[in-house]
Amino acid sequence: MKLIYAGLLGVVLAFLSVASASTKITVNGMVCAFCAQGIEKSLSKIPEVKAVFVDLKNKVVVVESRDGVALNDKSLTQGITDAGYDVIKIESIPQTISQFRSERRSKK
Amino acid sequence: MGFKNSWMIMGDLSKPYYDLSANYATTINDAYGFSLSQTQYNRSRSTSRTAEVIYVRKVKRWNMPEAQANMWFAGGVGATKDSKLDETRATASLGVQLDYETTRFYSMVATRTSFAGGMTSTNSTARLGVSFYEVDYDQAQPWIVIEARRIEVESKQYEFTPLIRVIHNKYFIEAGANLSGHLRFNFMLNY
Repeated sequence: MKLIYAGLLGVVLAFLSVASASTKITVNGMVCAFCAQGIEKSLSKIPEVKAVFVDLKNKVVVVESRDGVALNDKSLTQGITDAGYDVIKIESIPQTISQFRSERRSKK
Repeated sequence: MGFKNSWMIMGDLSKPYYDLSANYATTINDAYGFSLSQTQYNRSRSTSRTAEVIYVRKVKRWNMPEAQANMWFAGGVGATKDSKLDETRATASLGVQLDYETTRFYSMVATRTSFAGGMTSTNSTARLGVSFYEVDYDQAQPWIVIEARRIEVESKQYEFTPLIRVIHNKYFIEAGANLSGHLRFNFMLNY
């Protein structure tokens, strides 16, 4: 029985990791590209990170993980703190960076 | 200084004064580097050249939803060569800067005092800037900046310089001319 539960849990986690394609981070203090490049560089050094998108106008950073790898909220928060900024909110979103950018463009 | 584990290279270039410096941020708040500067005495050919090892400290950053403010400290020790007196003296400097900026507005005040051979001189700067429009992270952003600056050994008067600033990713450049027609070029590079 335990094996069945463990299997089900694995399936659910696998589903969640596929459903949550990216992590969206709301950041305080992000006002110019010259300063915010530190965020991109700091997060890009994390091995699980595939791509980083800085949305300066909406003060959010979207991070996409490498295939089959989960992002760690703690290391993302540390990366942004090392760049000199404060994380306000961190959430999983179903979109990839490409989809997020397309949706953002269509809202303009 | 830039972000942790990054180099910041800066230049402030004009006829009466230039300053070239580079520093490396070892932590989120501390950077170490060096600075080379030259100041021309008021309407003379005499100059004062200074080489310093510098320390920059981000004393406090306030991160707000739509703005950022900072308090900086800078200190340096080195040597100054004065062409008027034809001698080299040990020098030290202390400076403080406060800035506040949003995506469309920039303000800054700074003061820096140098001590060399019993003499002191203070440089004071205030800046206000506005950008033409907000941009995305990967777009160039143009600004108009007005600066009031007084370099004590050069002149007791403040000089006013309008500048055009362009920021694009790791590049930051400013160009302008003061009311006396002296050209001015500033840059910063962070990597």
